Amino acid sequence: MTPRLFLSTFGIETRKLMSYRVDFWLSAVIGFVVHVAIAFFLWRAIFDASGSERVGGYDFESMVLYYVLVSLFGKVVRGPEFPSDVSQDIYEGGLSRYLVYPTNYFLFRYAQHLGNLAPALVQLALFGTLCPIVLAVPDGFAPGFGAIAGTAAALLVGNALHYLLMLPVQLVAFWADNVWSLAVMMRLVAMLLGGFLVPLSLFPGGAEEAARFLPFPYLFHFPVEIVMGRLSPLAWAEGMGIALAWCGVLALVSSAVWQRGKLVYSGVGI
Amino acid sequence: MIEVEKLSKTYFTHRKAPGLKGSIRSLFRREKVVREAVRGVSFRIGEGEIVGLVGPNGAGKTTLVKMLAGIVHPTSGDARVLGYRPWERDNRLRRQVALIMGQKAQLWWDLPAGDSFLLLKDIYRIGEKDYRDSLALLTETLAVSHLLDIPLRRLSLGERMKMELVAALLHRPRVVYLDEPTIGLDVTAQHAIRDFILHYREQHRPAMILTSHYMEDIARLCKRIIVIRDGEFVFDGPLDRVVRQYAPDKVVTVHLDVGPDEPLPVIGPELPGRVVEAGRDRIRVEVPRERVTEVAQSLLERLPVADLTIEETEIGTVVERIFREKGAARP
Repeated sequence: MTPRLFLSTFGIETRKLMSYRVDFWLSAVIGFVVHVAIAFFLWRAIFDASGSERVGGYDFESMVLYYVLVSLFGKVVRGPEFPSDVSQDIYEGGLSRYLVYPTNYFLFRYAQHLGNLAPALVQLALFGTLCPIVLAVPDGFAPGFGAIAGTAAALLVGNALHYLLMLPVQLVAFWADNVWSLAVMMRLVAMLLGGFLVPLSLFPGGAEEAARFLPFPYLFHFPVEIVMGRLSPLAWAEGMGIALAWCGVLALVSSAVWQRGKLVYSGVGI
Repeated sequence: MIEVEKLSKTYFTHRKAPGLKGSIRSLFRREKVVREAVRGVSFRIGEGEIVGLVGPNGAGKTTLVKMLAGIVHPTSGDARVLGYRPWERDNRLRRQVALIMGQKAQLWWDLPAGDSFLLLKDIYRIGEKDYRDSLALLTETLAVSHLLDIPLRRLSLGERMKMELVAALLHRPRVVYLDEPTIGLDVTAQHAIRDFILHYREQHRPAMILTSHYMEDIARLCKRIIVIRDGEFVFDGPLDRVVRQYAPDKVVTVHLDVGPDEPLPVIGPELPGRVVEAGRDRIRVEVPRERVTEVAQSLLERLPVADLTIEETEIGTVVERIFREKGAARP
């Protein structure tokens, strides 16, 4: 796949998305506001009940900031419901047209996936600007250029990692009649072990340390920790290395599943 | 251009009994079903040839096309399209092939066709000038130039099908698979698409395989047909030969100029052929094709004829006869 085609695909998906303007703005606002509001009131109650200033190494302002960031970054990392498009392609025969085109199906789909990130990026810019005005920002939170660049790189890798993590599950559609429950399970595991639901520092004992060697923390927890200035440059490099290694492993797994799956694909629907 | 040798495809699926009981049982035990969709077929198609693939639903037509388009892998046998195995999906082959599926939209539903064409330009790496020339030629021939910036979902079925044709042919493929290209279209749109396909064939001389349930498509576009049933070829040859072989008769119809009080005309028993209809206004006779002139002349002499037409047996009837004969010949 040429870079030019990658950009064309990216562009066409963005245009497609903009054609549903109401959906675009609704999805941009509601999910974020609900997620942050729940986190705010829940953690306010927890902090009040515990009577302590810090929980899991976070004060209240830092905790709210964590949820604001994890919500915004989460959308960038996960994107829309892309991976389910792969299983839909297999079930409904939509894969057939991509097999006829002289291009790599996964790269083509990934370019479409990135094109669909437009709402998440708009939200990141919009709410990233508004939140410091509306919510109290913890003392000392002023990410510099290095932290922002490191976070951007982590988000990029996190996005690819999430794509590759969900891909083998979606490819099971070659054999199974429905992969929805598998995909939901994987998503929940990713959210839990990735620090989307609670910061990993709240995990018991050595669980946080053990989770470092799994791919999940590099989806949500890792980029948030970078921008909040809680990671050293060495920890950043180490995390990026582990995330990229997982990308490689998952790409190999996806490729193996694809090689087997295409033999049984029947191109239903035509 | 297309060479197929003993190609077969077997599908494995599972059967599930209807209802809740069947669903629960299928959780523990599923019955495997084997279906041989295509059984050891062999054929060759050359440059500029349009071959009609005819058969009932489930005969294996689409499976065969899907194998040749590289969408599904065969179970056994071999095929070469422009020298490549299609299911290996070599980009050098895929840049020269097009698949048009009447029942499955290929373009992006939410976008104007013009945007989809631009994407296809990059997918097929079409040069700027070639793209502009192809697009102008195709959209003008199909009279859809004015619809390029309207979202696909707002176009009529016929307009969408024309856009699908433009999309599939932008890169000037040397091999074209047309799967039910006129399905669901009105008569005018069907005519336009048939004329267009013929025009494209004359211009670019591709090898084409056409599957269609509309016998008019086959009769108008194909000089050769392959009749397929239960995954096996039951006929492969020139269309006119199949017509001669399975439709040895032509139908002569005379419209009569007989007043209400005049007696019904009498057709003598010596008239060759079989009278299939004898009314006050119209008589239809099936006549061996070599005696059509003689019979027509005889009818003109004997009857008060207002009009006379001579027709071939419909290709659909011919195919039905092939199925009947081959079915009877089976053990």
